[in-house]
Amino acid sequence: MSVARMISLTVNGETLEATVEPRKLLADVLREDFGLTGTHVGCEHGVCGACTVLIDDQPARACLTYAIQMEGHEITTIEAVGGTDLSPLQRALHEEHGLQCGFCTPGIIMTFEAFLRDTPDPSEDDVRDVLSGNLCRCTGYQNIVAAVLKAARTIREERP
Amino acid sequence: MSEMEGFHYIGKPLARKEDKRLVTGRGRFVDDIVVPGALHACFVRSPHAHARILKISTEAACDLSGVIGVFTGEDLDRWTNRLRVAPPIEGLHPTEISTLPIDKVRFHGDPVAVVVAKDRYVAEDATELVDVEYELLPAIASLENALVGNAVLVDETLPSNLVSHQSFSAGNVDRRRKEAHTVVEASFYQHRQTHVPMETRGCVAVWDAGREHLTFHTGSQVVHPLRSQLAVRLGLSESQVAVISLDVGGGFGQKIALYREELTVAALARHLSRPVRWREDRSENLMAASHARENFCRTRASVTAEGRILGLELEITEDFGAYCFYPANYMSRVVAMILTGPYRIEDYAFDVKIALTNKCGNGPMRAPMSITSWVMDGTIDAVARQLGLDPVDVRRTNMIGTEDLPYRMPTGELLEDITPAETLRSVIDAVGYDAFRNRQRALRNEGRYIGLGLCTVVESTTYGSAFYKSTGIPGSGHEAAWVRIEPSGVVNASVGLGATGQGYETAMSQAVAEGLGVDPSCIRIHIGNTDVAPYGMGSRGARGGTAGGGSLYLCAQKARGHVLRIAAHELGLNSASDLRLLAGRVERLLNGVWSATGISLADIARTAYLDPTNLPDGVAPGLDFSLTYDPPPMTYSNSSHACEVEVDIRTGMLSISRYVVSEDCGTVINPIVVRGQQQGAIAMGLSGAMLEEVVYDENGQNLSATFADYLVATACELPNFEILHNHTPNKRTPAGIKGMAEGGVMGSIASLTNAVNDALAPFGVVANRQPLSPQYLRSLLRERM
Repeated sequence: MSVARMISLTVNGETLEATVEPRKLLADVLREDFGLTGTHVGCEHGVCGACTVLIDDQPARACLTYAIQMEGHEITTIEAVGGTDLSPLQRALHEEHGLQCGFCTPGIIMTFEAFLRDTPDPSEDDVRDVLSGNLCRCTGYQNIVAAVLKAARTIREERP
Repeated sequence: MSEMEGFHYIGKPLARKEDKRLVTGRGRFVDDIVVPGALHACFVRSPHAHARILKISTEAACDLSGVIGVFTGEDLDRWTNRLRVAPPIEGLHPTEISTLPIDKVRFHGDPVAVVVAKDRYVAEDATELVDVEYELLPAIASLENALVGNAVLVDETLPSNLVSHQSFSAGNVDRRRKEAHTVVEASFYQHRQTHVPMETRGCVAVWDAGREHLTFHTGSQVVHPLRSQLAVRLGLSESQVAVISLDVGGGFGQKIALYREELTVAALARHLSRPVRWREDRSENLMAASHARENFCRTRASVTAEGRILGLELEITEDFGAYCFYPANYMSRVVAMILTGPYRIEDYAFDVKIALTNKCGNGPMRAPMSITSWVMDGTIDAVARQLGLDPVDVRRTNMIGTEDLPYRMPTGELLEDITPAETLRSVIDAVGYDAFRNRQRALRNEGRYIGLGLCTVVESTTYGSAFYKSTGIPGSGHEAAWVRIEPSGVVNASVGLGATGQGYETAMSQAVAEGLGVDPSCIRIHIGNTDVAPYGMGSRGARGGTAGGGSLYLCAQKARGHVLRIAAHELGLNSASDLRLLAGRVERLLNGVWSATGISLADIARTAYLDPTNLPDGVAPGLDFSLTYDPPPMTYSNSSHACEVEVDIRTGMLSISRYVVSEDCGTVINPIVVRGQQQGAIAMGLSGAMLEEVVYDENGQNLSATFADYLVATACELPNFEILHNHTPNKRTPAGIKGMAEGGVMGSIASLTNAVNDALAPFGVVANRQPLSPQYLRSLLRERM
């Protein structure tokens, strides 16, 4: 344990401050200090992917990251995805029944928002390979894969 | 009540109402619920499998800044009542446990003390400062060691570790054995697994000292039975406890019992008069929440030369772990009860032994009877192998046909409205059985080994109250619902289920919509709060559809009858017999055509609430309806599974190339939700049969307490599932619903293993243990290549 200190993080485009111990995980600071409870904690050892957020636009595990390390970086959480409408991926997950209990879903969305930005036309194998970093206990993954592929098509079609 | 056609809202593939909050991160799981000033609990857990507790020193932990206190089994024994499991079941020994251990720990991970602190990090720090002095006892880490004559006792109040033993016989299996052409023996070992909900256990307990009332936020499948348990164990009345479960991140059977940790947290909140919360971490969940399975089955089938089964004998031994949160025969008795499943077998005997060991206690996990279909269809495959017959022919020789229904199983269970021969035929046609055999032969010549495994499942669902009565298991299988049409005409409804991802807010609104005659978009389902929902039995045993959906459907029909009576009065009619409600509007049958009356549900609601003097004579104001429904003792769904695999004989690597299932689960309320349940159940079965395994070493040390050790299938190990529909209604249930969501586990573990054995047939080896790891398959092949 060590002394808490003030940190300032950029989360979803806003500057937020908290007084935390250096050992406090990013996931816990997001949830407890900033009230952003959409980032879920499923294993605290980096396997399940439920806590995935974007750090400087790249997916990362918020349970393996200390908040204090994130000063000077941009954090994006599920709360910033979609606006009044859902994003194409969120919509596709709804339409394809790509979620049941929904606990793993925010982590999957963060993983694939970044993936589809960089890989607009993935194969099913590409999607399954990336999805293997997120555990889902309810769906058997089939509908999540279908949803990601559908979202990719939608994004390609909507692109100017 | 056997209609399948003619539904307006049941059977529609409506996308789920609950999705929007979940895809935007606005769900409310246990840890998302903010309670200002809540203290954090963290448990001190035993590093030993079996040891006496000599002394617990808490001073150093209490001195840590931020720690409120450290509490032990003796404290909890003053504040709570013990759990006694003593149902009237012959051959079952009663057990009693304290809320936290006092004299000894019984498994690696057993909670021995609890720290309460202002912060979760500090609470966890403090657990390391609690010094527990132990005297080690020999650990019982296997079934074999549990049942030897002089074994150390896991529970010292019992005469032996054999906590439960039942046997049964119908017909005369001894005589059938003597008459048989051949007696085929087979064995099946299913390993220890655990549920792994993505949201671990957790709770927030808020004690209102002024009102003497506990509000308990947790993730539960059964909020009312949990409330009853909490009240009894805390010495409170049921009016002093409310249980609230908003969003629950998966349950799979793990979130039914009141476990010791949750009870401890509730007792602490009351003792301290401060809110206390607890979030289980993943290693605790894997080690100490609840385990499942680990049973060993042996069958002996007396058969004719043509493969007709004359008699069947079953022995089951289950490793139940250290503590009984359920009657110890709870899971295995269902395996024994429904083993014969889709086959005509009259002479049948079983022997079921349950042993306590120094492992985490067992509980029901999605398909508690999951081994059943593997044992039965694995036995059929063993018969085919030994007699040199085609496994499909042996299935057909023994299968129950439509002409045999209703069919009384040798254990007395009644099968009706099932279609196993039809689902088997449909799945065999879909996979192209003969073409597969040709392909298999050709590939074998190239040194490649593919296999096809089949399994037909008869899935026990719903479990009415008569089942509980006949088995001696405490509880009931009925369900309760209410439907309220509000003054504006919108509909609120509730039922005593506990959602953990089944889409009840959508499917249950369809059941209400159908019964009432209102679009599902106008209906809101309120569940998971004991102060709001009626006392129901929660979600377990594939009962949501038939018991939950059925009671809402019937309650909504009751509401419709009342609404139409008022409508008839407004229209000046003597009877409502020619009226119906559809899409919230009253229609009248005139000359064989349904015609608008201009009266809407909102009009009726306004009269009922705001202008009740205009109601017919004898009709009370308001539109508030409730009902309870007790389903049949058991309903049955059926399905046939076909799994195609390839085994790399050099590495033992197993891959699934195709998976087809044909299912009859009766009337489907929402096909999207049902398909999701089928996929999820098959996935859970395959993951368990290929990868997952709780491993204890010979000293009872748990070696699988992280996701790096306890492997859950990812998107790369699972195939797409092809699902064929052969649904036929149940004639006895509301709307013809049968229930489903566990059979996928039963069929997948069986068809996968049967497929592996088909692939490896040229080597003369039989895989009779799970998981089907590369190491295990190589160990079978090593001496045969």
